[in-house]
Amino acid sequence: MVAPAKATGVDGQIFKRALLGSLSWLAANHEEVNRLNVFPVPDGDTGTNMLLTLQSAVEDVKESNAAEVSKIAKLASHGSLMGARGNSGVILSQIFRGFARAVEGKSALTPAELAAAFEEAANAAYRAVNKPTEGTILTVAREAGRAAATAASTPDANVPRVIAAAAAGARSAVLKTPSQLQILRDAGVVDAGGFGLQLILEGMLKSVEESEPALAAMAETKRPVSPASQVSLDLPEGGWGYCTEFLIEGNGLDTDLIRGQIESLGNSVLVVGEPELVKVHVHTDDPTGVINLAGGYGKILKLNVGDMSTQHRRILESEGAAGKSRPPRPNGAGLAAVVAGRGLVEIFRGLGVDAIIEGGQTMNPSTQDMLTAIESVPYDEVILLPNNGNVIPAAKQVVGLTKKKVHVVDTHSVPQGVSAVVAFRPERSGLENLKAMKAEAERVQTIEVTHAVRDTRSNGVKVKKGDVIGLINDRLEFAGDDYPDVVKRALGRLGPDSYELVTVYRGEQASDDELARLESEIRSNYPRLEVEVQQGGQQHYPFILSVE
Amino acid sequence: MARSFAVVTDSTADLPGEWRKRYGIEVVPLKVLFGHETFRDGVDMTSDEFFTRLAASTSLPTTSAPSPGEFAEVYRRLAKDHDGCISIHIGAKLSATVEAARVGAESVAGFKVNVIDSQTVSMPMAFLCSVAAECASLEEATAAVEKRVPSCRVLALLDTLRYLEMGGRLSRAQAMIGTMLDLKPLLLVSENAEIKPVDRVRTRTRAIQRMIEFVRGEQPLERLAVMHAQAGDEAESIAKTLRPEFAGLEVPIGQIGCVLGTHTGPKALGLGYIKK
Repeated sequence: MVAPAKATGVDGQIFKRALLGSLSWLAANHEEVNRLNVFPVPDGDTGTNMLLTLQSAVEDVKESNAAEVSKIAKLASHGSLMGARGNSGVILSQIFRGFARAVEGKSALTPAELAAAFEEAANAAYRAVNKPTEGTILTVAREAGRAAATAASTPDANVPRVIAAAAAGARSAVLKTPSQLQILRDAGVVDAGGFGLQLILEGMLKSVEESEPALAAMAETKRPVSPASQVSLDLPEGGWGYCTEFLIEGNGLDTDLIRGQIESLGNSVLVVGEPELVKVHVHTDDPTGVINLAGGYGKILKLNVGDMSTQHRRILESEGAAGKSRPPRPNGAGLAAVVAGRGLVEIFRGLGVDAIIEGGQTMNPSTQDMLTAIESVPYDEVILLPNNGNVIPAAKQVVGLTKKKVHVVDTHSVPQGVSAVVAFRPERSGLENLKAMKAEAERVQTIEVTHAVRDTRSNGVKVKKGDVIGLINDRLEFAGDDYPDVVKRALGRLGPDSYELVTVYRGEQASDDELARLESEIRSNYPRLEVEVQQGGQQHYPFILSVE
Repeated sequence: MARSFAVVTDSTADLPGEWRKRYGIEVVPLKVLFGHETFRDGVDMTSDEFFTRLAASTSLPTTSAPSPGEFAEVYRRLAKDHDGCISIHIGAKLSATVEAARVGAESVAGFKVNVIDSQTVSMPMAFLCSVAAECASLEEATAAVEKRVPSCRVLALLDTLRYLEMGGRLSRAQAMIGTMLDLKPLLLVSENAEIKPVDRVRTRTRAIQRMIEFVRGEQPLERLAVMHAQAGDEAESIAKTLRPEFAGLEVPIGQIGCVLGTHTGPKALGLGYIKK
């Protein structure tokens, strides 16, 4: 049906068929490329952008019966330029442009001419970019060109072998991209644009499969190690588990056997290497089990176990998200807060608090606890938030006990503490922050809902043990027998018209049903108020509400 | 035509409709993609239509820069009755548009195109276009625009960071808003299209007050505009507050387009200005 490529060299129709092969292979795999986009890429997904660019290149080529490779290449170049999208698409269009220039005036390409055109395509792409970065599609294009040139210089060179070499060169360059770019390394992925180019070359190779099936198969052998299988960032059922990676050093290691066993312990399994050294990568809920198993084969080296939920968050939040990796603050001021409850601890950490002192209502931390926490903050000036009236006195003691400059913002409640932290600005001085944080803390109203622990009378309200009681800014105001009713009355007392937002911090004891009823009571009685629910996880107070 | 050179921008300038005529400005649309459906920003889809569709859409749209070829076509057309052209585009840090314009310009032989990376977005770009349009020559226009590029600012209040985050332009950590609470970040697009958090607040009313306070501190200003996405009433009331304080400035109101809207989400408000 089609003349074998090695007899005629690459003419227009063979090149056209190669482009169609690229298109169908990229179309089949572009979602995998998209999945590699875990860090910010301007203008959408790389896989989709490259696919649309290639589609536009092929659009013009499809209708042409031109026998000359130069004509088809020119059409592809023009089409890709018209359809180029995103950075990778623009670079791809420049690759086509370089290729078209290199084959200008030629009707068919010898293996050497084809290799030279691949190399020129890469050069054109480099020239088109202001500041070329290694570890990207550029590197992959160059390595593909080099590999093609090497293959073309052998005595038995033919076109399919040159394409096969280009595809193989691309593949090995793609696998190396994480060692060239920190951002890829951090995200644990290979470069998406480079992988897209690899797919395009592999697709070309598939199109010459008829003439050289063995070579085409070569491109396929390494599919199980395809980058996307190592780096899929889809959330697996049952959570993330741990990304576990290590090397096994031993003798006569059997990768297939090891892979088979590890596969039963996790997913995204990758086991590659030589009989003496095997690299293992797996996402598992049981890293210890994996390590024990692998330890039976040899010595474990370079063990790295990462919590993938944390990793995922870190990738999404980019660098400097949490804890130590946070960039140093220009004002040199740190934050410490007294908080109890898992959710609340996370909220305060998420807002930038450096040190958390566990404690609160029934578990007042000592001055020493606070002192220790303050000493752990990597700044010489620390703002301390007690977040409870009973903690304030001990907090004030800390001021004289350390060489650090400590300021206490008198926050009496969790909502006040949150408002204070929200007002913190790293570029403002400690004193300016102190002022702003105090002002913000005073703007917010606190409603706390709990149960009376004994019969009493307070602030003119008579309560019996077990009653639901509502406190506004630490003063007992209402007693009743259910949460929604007490909250409704408390909000009514504050005057809902002067406020916009109610944040409900749900305590450990509050049930889903109680939360749902509380929410609907607020929404139906005060439709103008926005309601936000946070899992506070605090003890003793089923609900704490912030009204602002 | 009095002016011998053309002024080109892209749809992220949020150019008020009548400015096109008033200043004779050519707008090249970026694209917004809902799945595999592509719309040219402001051509196939208005801002209002976009936000209606966004609200109904289960997955978020993506955006895409014009292709170099599309730029080349526009330049080729303009080359027929102009000596040259100034092409002012969204900051290179935010989009590949300016690169596409450069590549496109290169392919049009014999027509001088001065491609400007505005390092900003939205109304400040529109202001730069109006500055260029009022110049007598391409050289003068280029100098006048380049001089102002470092002084352009956009102060943005997003109702949610979700859209900007999904588009990969900014993370919650970078915006200093942590991961749990629904905070309203105030972001400043400053020199070199750098997005910097300037404040974070819990409620919209407070955030709007902070915006106004912030821009007061930025005086003196040469230009000032209010931008919005589906928040026309609030934009109008902000403009009303600011106009007496910035006497002599027009303080126009711009509507955030489809592509920018993909990243800001609905109910975004902004102040775009050029510092003196």
